[in-house]
Amino acid sequence: MPSLSPSRYDAIVVGGGHNGLVNAAYLARAGRRVLVLERRPRVGGAAVTEEVFPGFKFSMFSYVVSLLRPEIIRDLDLPGHGLHILPLESTLTPMENGDYLAAWADHDETRRELYRHSPRDADAYDEYGRLMHFMAHAVKPILGMVPPDPTSLHPRDLLGLLRLGKHFRGLGAEKLHALVKLMTMSSADLLDEWFETDVLKATKSASGIIGTFLGPRSPGTAYVLLHHYMGELDGVFRAWGFAKGGTGSVSEAIAGAARRFGAEIRTDATVARVLVTRGRAMGVVLENGDEIRTKAVVSSLDPRRTFLQLLESDGLPDDFVAAIRRFKFRGSSGKVNLALGALPDFTCMPGPGRHLRGAVSISPSLEYVERAYDDAKYGEFSRRPYLDIVIPSMIDPEMAPPGQHVMSIFVQYAPYHLNGGWTDARREAFGDAVIDAVERFAPNLKSIILHRQVLTPADIERVTGLTEGNIFQGELALHQLFFLRPAPSWARYRTPVRGLYQCGAGTHPGGGIMGASGRLAALAMLEDGA
Amino acid sequence: MTPDAIVIGAGANGLVAAHTLARAGRRVLVLEQRGESDGALDAGWVPPAVIRDLALDRHGLQVVRPDPWISVALPGGDRLELWQDVTRTAEAIRRVSPADATKWPAFCRRMHRLAGFLEALYAVPAPDVETRDLRELLGLAGLGLKARRLGKEAIVDLLRVLPMSAGELLDDWFEHDALKAALGAAGVLHLRQGPRAAGTAFVMLHHHVGSLAGVFRPPLSNIVAVLATLPGVEVRRGGGAQVARISVANGRATGVALASGEVIRASVIASSADPRATLLGLLEPGWLDPEFARAVHSIKCRGVVGRVLLTVARDPGFRSLAVAPSLEYLERAYDDAKYGVVSRQPYLEARTENGRVLVHVQYVPYALADGGWDDARRRALGDLVVERLAEHAPALGQAVTGREVLTPRDLADREGLTEGNAYHGELTLDQVLFMRPVPGWSRYRTPVPGLYLCGSGAHPGGGIAGAAGRLAARQILKEVAG
Repeated sequence: MPSLSPSRYDAIVVGGGHNGLVNAAYLARAGRRVLVLERRPRVGGAAVTEEVFPGFKFSMFSYVVSLLRPEIIRDLDLPGHGLHILPLESTLTPMENGDYLAAWADHDETRRELYRHSPRDADAYDEYGRLMHFMAHAVKPILGMVPPDPTSLHPRDLLGLLRLGKHFRGLGAEKLHALVKLMTMSSADLLDEWFETDVLKATKSASGIIGTFLGPRSPGTAYVLLHHYMGELDGVFRAWGFAKGGTGSVSEAIAGAARRFGAEIRTDATVARVLVTRGRAMGVVLENGDEIRTKAVVSSLDPRRTFLQLLESDGLPDDFVAAIRRFKFRGSSGKVNLALGALPDFTCMPGPGRHLRGAVSISPSLEYVERAYDDAKYGEFSRRPYLDIVIPSMIDPEMAPPGQHVMSIFVQYAPYHLNGGWTDARREAFGDAVIDAVERFAPNLKSIILHRQVLTPADIERVTGLTEGNIFQGELALHQLFFLRPAPSWARYRTPVRGLYQCGAGTHPGGGIMGASGRLAALAMLEDGA
Repeated sequence: MTPDAIVIGAGANGLVAAHTLARAGRRVLVLEQRGESDGALDAGWVPPAVIRDLALDRHGLQVVRPDPWISVALPGGDRLELWQDVTRTAEAIRRVSPADATKWPAFCRRMHRLAGFLEALYAVPAPDVETRDLRELLGLAGLGLKARRLGKEAIVDLLRVLPMSAGELLDDWFEHDALKAALGAAGVLHLRQGPRAAGTAFVMLHHHVGSLAGVFRPPLSNIVAVLATLPGVEVRRGGGAQVARISVANGRATGVALASGEVIRASVIASSADPRATLLGLLEPGWLDPEFARAVHSIKCRGVVGRVLLTVARDPGFRSLAVAPSLEYLERAYDDAKYGVVSRQPYLEARTENGRVLVHVQYVPYALADGGWDDARRRALGDLVVERLAEHAPALGQAVTGREVLTPRDLADREGLTEGNAYHGELTLDQVLFMRPVPGWSRYRTPVPGLYLCGSGAHPGGGIAGAAGRLAARQILKEVAG
């Protein structure tokens, strides 16, 4: 008879993505014995670097860093564990008429470039930047706040609500109004209030649709405009950065910190189920049948996987299960990774140059991006998609063999629920549409492609486990944020099962490589004495 | 006589404001550039406080609650009729979807509770979230308590449902396409958004306020006609009453200058014209701070509704008829408007009244992408509407003897509505409550002392008859000694 050894662990973290690793590191740092179980052969989840083609390394899914919380970088000494962020300073948007719009690291240069398009917009740009900067300041504390439960009468929640109310009122009228507008408006409408240059509005609003199943004219997309400004505040990063060695090195750095604090990380270890006895999590069962006991289990998987797959749902309250079932994922993004024999040549800015060290945005007009969304709304991938392109080998030459390059293309929109479903043929057709969309602005592209990897939302789900391929573990819509993320009354990292916690991006504050969920969950667990 | 107050516009809000002021002893002059109203019923809930204050029921107010409140064409010539009575509606739904029929009563209960909360918000000035005033703070706390007393389910509904899209909310509940479209259309009335846009669940509830559970269209009434007969205020109508300018001296409103050149002095001017028309059209630009002027200019006020009036020689075969087969149909109709094109397959809601068929057509953009509105385009819109309706009501085609087509452009030209938007500003979440008409100015005042806004552009917004007028008048009475 197999004897159940007393638990060797204080906590088991299910899933070794960045949030799971951050969670483990914080628990280990507080002296807890922690085991991380990762299904894949490597940690990182959607933040991984893989040598997809020999000699060519890719940040396979997530490809830029900007929101990683500064306190995490500090607390875990990530630079000491190899994290090195290289700036990604420019954005080039080619236009249909052969012109372009560029934003450079140098503010004055950007302003001059904008002036070329519209003197009025060049003036408005500074004022807009100031407001966004203020707003980022105003919102930031909320990202680090554990959401109070508005339906609870617990003093802690009442106090939390009061504090929240005070925070908002403390902003003053002007910023409070701006905040309401940012939370409710479409990015296109908000930008219409400021600017007249269409390509500027297209490129800015495109950042508001990343990872969402919404178009630039959909209300609720304005908020993400803030993200660009949040990274800047800390002085740790430029607006957007690229991790040396690819995004996987962010995960490796966090894993290194976790190990240093004493956490154990096991890869190729798939958790099949969370063991629950009398409403309490007791451990986990692996796919190979092994049982591991622990005092607490914390899942970094998305809410649907955590509650509908790892648990028997009949042990959960009905209204909770209903809330998890209706939590929306609807993956909307794909990724195309290219190995290139030479550099692409953009018609609007020919030859190699510094513009290739930044992002290239295929968002020539608002209508272009909105029409890309229209296709997806009715179940098709965009015939002319919005693309965010970077060439990491230009910034970190070790990503590709000498003289050759890797190109990462983030694509929107690719609906998870494609009419007729995703097949190999549809995937290739999707890949072709993406290549065609780039080639319109960089005609040499097809001739320099050595290999291509096309990832649909279905592929993202298959590889990373993210439900419906949603990169944020659930849509960042207003009714799925803060105290409603992932379900009312269960937004404080705890779950209806005692001893089971959640620490993924499916909890407040949500997606992006922030690590905030992992950290806040760890603090909640420590507070509970886990 | 020299009036104490001038009210611009003799619609429901203007007249309610005027009579509320008159009842407090003010001499009021109402200026309306148009002639007498055409006698058609006015759509919009009349809040009980408006009826009570002006004793409108004793003066012949009739509120019409059409039953069925909507009759949606189904494929194959059938209709889905939704009634004032919850049980009767459930029976009607059962014929097309037993599952939806089962959920109907619970849906009605949940939505009616939320609408009840909105009704309470609409009866008073918008909450002032920045206030330091104790009375206001108590009011805020009272609202919070009211919400909490509704119970956990209702609090979660409030937080979750209001910012949602009507489409997503309805998908959570129902499966039948036409049922979802009939309800979802209430979420986009006078809005340049489709039912898949966040915030449209709120708009759906907005149009539910004041109705019985399960009824998602505002009732109709003869309120404007009743108000027009009430004694106590002087109303001047027609071209001679057209206001050209609001006069300002030393930063204060001092009266109005009419198009005829006549100047009428008054220390209070209440405008029920929309905020953009009032503040950017009737004031000398110099009187507004540029920030404020920009906020006013940014009010989203995009007209998307066309009105078609058909004269019919005989019964068109329906009392009311809606063409809204599915949410996707509505969404695609909106997609056209996004790019400045009239919906090829528009949302239509028609009702027959005194030998006329009145049709609400959405989406009809104010500005067309390929040039302006002209007679040919107007004719094409009329043809489209008759054709689409006749697909579901074959008798109509032969019955039509005349028609009038009004585009948002026409509504703008005739009625002075900015961009032809009848709600004086779309009901998007960034343009309601303390954000309406512009952030920080929800209390009917303007930066020009003596000038007030009393129309739908102010809280609580369009589709409600007289609420803004009443609240604005009370604000004026509070601030300006008689």
